[in-house]
Amino acid sequence: MAAAGAIAAPYILPSGRLFAASGQQMAQHVVYVLFAGGVRQQESVLQRYLEDAQNKPGLAGNIMYNILNGDPPTQKIAYGTDPQQGTKGSLPIPRLLNDTIENMGMLLPEMRATSAGHYAGLNTLVTGNTATTQGLKQKPVFPTIFEYTRRHLGIPATKSWFVCNTLLNSYPLLNYSEHENYGASYGANLLVPNVVFGSRGEEHLANAKVYHPEEQIAPIYEMKQFLDNTFKSNGSGLIEYGITNTEEERNDIKEFIKSTFEKKRLGQIPFPPVTDNGDLSNIGYAIELMRWFKPTLTVINLSNVDGCHSNFTGYLRSLHRADHGVAHLWKEIQNIPEMKDNTVMIMIPECGRNSDPNPILDENDWYAFDHSDQNSLRIFGAMLGPGVPSGLKLGSESNPVGNIQDGVLTVADILGFKDSVISTGMVNGAAMSWFDRI
Amino acid sequence: MKRLLPLFFLFALLSLFGCKKDVAYQLNEEDIFPIDAQKAKLKTEGQYLAILHANLFQQALSANKVIELEDIIFGFGDKDLIHEVIISNLMNKQNVQIPSDSAMRADPEQFTLDTYERFLIRRPSEAELTWFIHYIENNPNVTSELVYFAFALSNEYLYY
Repeated sequence: MAAAGAIAAPYILPSGRLFAASGQQMAQHVVYVLFAGGVRQQESVLQRYLEDAQNKPGLAGNIMYNILNGDPPTQKIAYGTDPQQGTKGSLPIPRLLNDTIENMGMLLPEMRATSAGHYAGLNTLVTGNTATTQGLKQKPVFPTIFEYTRRHLGIPATKSWFVCNTLLNSYPLLNYSEHENYGASYGANLLVPNVVFGSRGEEHLANAKVYHPEEQIAPIYEMKQFLDNTFKSNGSGLIEYGITNTEEERNDIKEFIKSTFEKKRLGQIPFPPVTDNGDLSNIGYAIELMRWFKPTLTVINLSNVDGCHSNFTGYLRSLHRADHGVAHLWKEIQNIPEMKDNTVMIMIPECGRNSDPNPILDENDWYAFDHSDQNSLRIFGAMLGPGVPSGLKLGSESNPVGNIQDGVLTVADILGFKDSVISTGMVNGAAMSWFDRI
Repeated sequence: MKRLLPLFFLFALLSLFGCKKDVAYQLNEEDIFPIDAQKAKLKTEGQYLAILHANLFQQALSANKVIELEDIIFGFGDKDLIHEVIISNLMNKQNVQIPSDSAMRADPEQFTLDTYERFLIRRPSEAELTWFIHYIENNPNVTSELVYFAFALSNEYLYY
């Protein structure tokens, strides 16, 4: 009895976590792509191109040919890059991968989202729950996958990153929840590289003075500590001020910032071959970050396809580029020795888009689409890497399999702490790891 | 008696309109910096940045620059760390207003008093004053810039 009690009792590991990870790791790294912005099923998995959306019979085709099997459209090409002369967007971006992600991994072509909104969808992607009380401009009310990962694996903040493509729409709030048992102590480091390394960062960060760690930084911290202790002893405690890194990690991050500005100046950031929007530059910086920190968990947000509210051509271009960016991301992961063959990549959109268009016409007289109807709940998912079955397709248009809540348990399953997450009771009951859906 | 009557009236008249000494009220010069400032409100990032710039450069920061800097802070998870990088960047600008090291070493007490007033809007306690004087005197590598950096990075500086 005593022995059983001893086995069951939680203990504090040196890392600060309460419980040992409960399962075996399939890989030591996960890259989780929030393939976001609202991706219509018709132009992605169903490969209808202009046939459905713009009522153009015969103009179907696959514009995501790195991810999905299928031939690209042959007419009315408007999603590519612009030639020096001729039709805008008429040069499709060459395929980057030797084989498709669909063939190399598994595809869930017909999943369900639980909300037609961006922030609710993204919240569900990172929390595995559909919080009905979740507000905009509010941190997630349920713990995020970042917090589960850090707490149940006992990893430091620099091993968990949220690389967000924009400051808009509350997205930067997703790096940790406001849950009392988790929160900032287990949150991810957040980086919005297009801001931090963009023109604003160039002016206000790039020229940062480099101080000597022992001779200069140490006295600064020593004096700061004295000031902080005095402030605290006067009864003025500091409220929680976001996530924190250890001194060693701080120095590492400062080095990374300095190095990234330098590499940017030298043109050495591993941007995708075509980088002409914010999603693609976000991916380039995310790769640079992965090269530096080799994170256990990297979550990357994309959202340029949301231009579909007013510009269908722009949406097609962004969707084609999201495919290009994800392919480049996978290729570059294989060039990082610590992550090669040791990383699983997952991608899921946060919502779909409407069946019927709104009245806005773009430069090609094509109608735009919002996201609010049942069609907006149709999404897909894909995953590849060690332990993931190749060429497996789960579900179909008539037989939906999987939902948006699955992402968190799937990541936890790969990293070996799925049971710990389930036992918290804070993931939606309908959620399942994709490995359990097979 | 009749001859004295005008004199009497004249005296009475003068006593009515005579000079009166005014009472002058003055203010003594008193310091208004409490030793133990109870700061309970967290500055917004915009307030922090504007005050930081004013403290380091004795000049206001434009609204556009405040917004740019706010964006950078919102775009980074570890706020304390990104504050540090922003301060490092400011310290590299030419017109930053910091007392010379020789001035600090010549009178560490006055330097400490001035620094507390400049950043924390209060006088240090005797214990704080003593600690900083000793720290400056016993650490030849410590410069006035490093002291300013520590104050700009302190938790108390985040509050008002």
